Amino acid sequence: MWKKIFDWLDERLGLNDIYKNLLDRPEPRGNWWNTLGSASLFLFVLQGLTGIFLTVYYTPSPDHAYDSIQYIMEGVAFGWLIRGIHHWGASLMVIVVFIHMLRVFVTASYKYPRELTWLIGVGLLLATIGMGFTGYLLPWNQRAYWATTVGTQIAGSVPFIGEFILKALRGGPDLSALTLQRFFSGHIWMIPAILAALIGVHLFLIIKHGESHFPTRED
Amino acid sequence: MNDEIKKKINERYERELNRGERFWPDSIFKDLIVSLGIFAILVLLATFVGVAPEPKADPADTSYLPRPEWYFLFLFKFLALYGQIPVIGKIEWLATVLIPGLGIGLLTLLPLLDKSPYRHYSRRIFALTFMGTVILDIVLLTVMASLPVPPDAAELAASTTLQAIGGLWIPAAILTILVLFYAFKRDIYRESTRRSLPIFITVAGSLAMVAMTIYISARAASYPKPEEVEVATTLVDQIVAGQDLYSVHCVECHGDDGSVDVIEGVEGLEGEEITPINSTDVLYTITDSAMYEVIAYGRPNAGMVPFGKAYGGELSRSEIDNIILFMRYTWDDRFEAPEIPALFPPLADGEVPSYEVHIAPIVKRYCISCHRAGKENNDYLMTTYEEILTTGENKDKNIVAGDPNSYLLQVIQGTPIMDPEKPDEEMIGVMPPKGHLKPDALDALIRWIMNGMPETAEDAAKLFVAPTPVQ
Repeated sequence: MWKKIFDWLDERLGLNDIYKNLLDRPEPRGNWWNTLGSASLFLFVLQGLTGIFLTVYYTPSPDHAYDSIQYIMEGVAFGWLIRGIHHWGASLMVIVVFIHMLRVFVTASYKYPRELTWLIGVGLLLATIGMGFTGYLLPWNQRAYWATTVGTQIAGSVPFIGEFILKALRGGPDLSALTLQRFFSGHIWMIPAILAALIGVHLFLIIKHGESHFPTRED
Repeated sequence: MNDEIKKKINERYERELNRGERFWPDSIFKDLIVSLGIFAILVLLATFVGVAPEPKADPADTSYLPRPEWYFLFLFKFLALYGQIPVIGKIEWLATVLIPGLGIGLLTLLPLLDKSPYRHYSRRIFALTFMGTVILDIVLLTVMASLPVPPDAAELAASTTLQAIGGLWIPAAILTILVLFYAFKRDIYRESTRRSLPIFITVAGSLAMVAMTIYISARAASYPKPEEVEVATTLVDQIVAGQDLYSVHCVECHGDDGSVDVIEGVEGLEGEEITPINSTDVLYTITDSAMYEVIAYGRPNAGMVPFGKAYGGELSRSEIDNIILFMRYTWDDRFEAPEIPALFPPLADGEVPSYEVHIAPIVKRYCISCHRAGKENNDYLMTTYEEILTTGENKDKNIVAGDPNSYLLQVIQGTPIMDPEKPDEEMIGVMPPKGHLKPDALDALIRWIMNGMPETAEDAAKLFVAPTPVQ
């Protein structure tokens, strides 16, 4: 019976092909350092899930953002857990992505034929930091408000176009409801979309070229 | 890179694959363990560490010291140290745009810049030493940025200089030497020197950087720690915080139950008619945000001063919000108040109250509204233990250990102190001027003074006298 169902699905989905091409791949002997990429992916998914749950209660307006998070922490069942995981997950994701990049640098895995994988990877690192920067403002507390004030000021120090960047980030000369709204939009739609797309390409390239092996004296 | 090298690389990889493992289940297994471990760590962090509470954003509070997310701290420190450099330190965009831009650019173009096909560590000494120095500097700058602020200008200057040496100049020197070495290495040096010298320089420089950072941290250990701001997070805590603030800032005019309609005993506002703020007229028609504005901006024409920091008052956003919560949950019949814990733990027979556990909350709620700097109070301040015992025009008589005729005990029990020279005039009226203390608070104050005003709970516990059992 199960066999029949499997065969029917396999005929239409090509399950066996997927198994052969995706899972039953040969790989060089790896070690624990090789798990950092998948750990980053896991954290991305986890941040996505907890983030989606948070949007159920979070309100991106200066009048209600702080109180809505207060409510998530105190009023919602297991809200503290979801928020806690999202909060700490952000820090851990930056650490894991950064160490992953260092590992690739140290073993020189960015060299032929994996140059593009590295390039995409730098994009992923920057997008992750962008997630951290936009997400930091959302609680609308003192830390968030003043860190973003300074952060956008720094972005505004670019010669010639600094003024424009500053206004584009803040939605005006000062931090306001507009700033919160666009950081929220960036945090839940724009940057995650970029991240997801880049992760797709990154994974495709990894499957195409396989994981690199640890260099020996031969290399 | 020519096709021959590419072919060699690919053949080499084939060989590694043949003596390797399978993605499923070998690699996936390890991936799953690590992911599960990360999840466990996150759940533990969320459960046992949680998210540090922080007051609500207050654009008016410009005294707040901005701090970025921890992984930007190194950049923050770098900018601060860079700003100290004469002349180019004033050209901000060099440090905010050019150097980070250069770093990201180098990182992005790395595979195109590093054309050597070799991968083994022994053939990548320049890349590894260079990156190693940068990473170490990032870590050390992060450490420096998280140290407390130096207490005075001299120490600040000294600390900044040390930090600039350890976090800016030594790494810059190492990187410059490495680049020069890389650029000129080919002809000048012997093979062995070429390999060992950059490593030696990097290790020596790194040790110097680490030593500097340790020294700076050791100096910083004696700096005063920044004050931790307590933030009320639960509804109960917020209501209690709001009530304490109300007692300090609002009680004088509005009374402790908000029912005052004609102000009495406040200089300059005597006889002023006001709307009782505990009335449904006020509570049902004024929204939280309108109430916020009233408290923040005041009603200058009606004699109410501004309380919000934005208008020169003392209260932050969160504090005003807490006052509003207190008002709602106490007087507004549409709100159902949670159970509010007692002001101080009840006293057993023979127990002696202490300042820190019992007296401080009572004083905070009932006395310091007037008995603090800037109010009319015969210079009797009550904001700290020392002030309560040692300030005021009648400091010898206000509180006398074991004396039931201490002025304070008389006035809180309804006996005003008469002026010895004009026996018809009150020198000190009954306290609090309106209303009276609850019996348990009164009892606590009497016991406290009769037993010698212990400050800490420990001191008070020593004075505990077990009640004699009734025969």
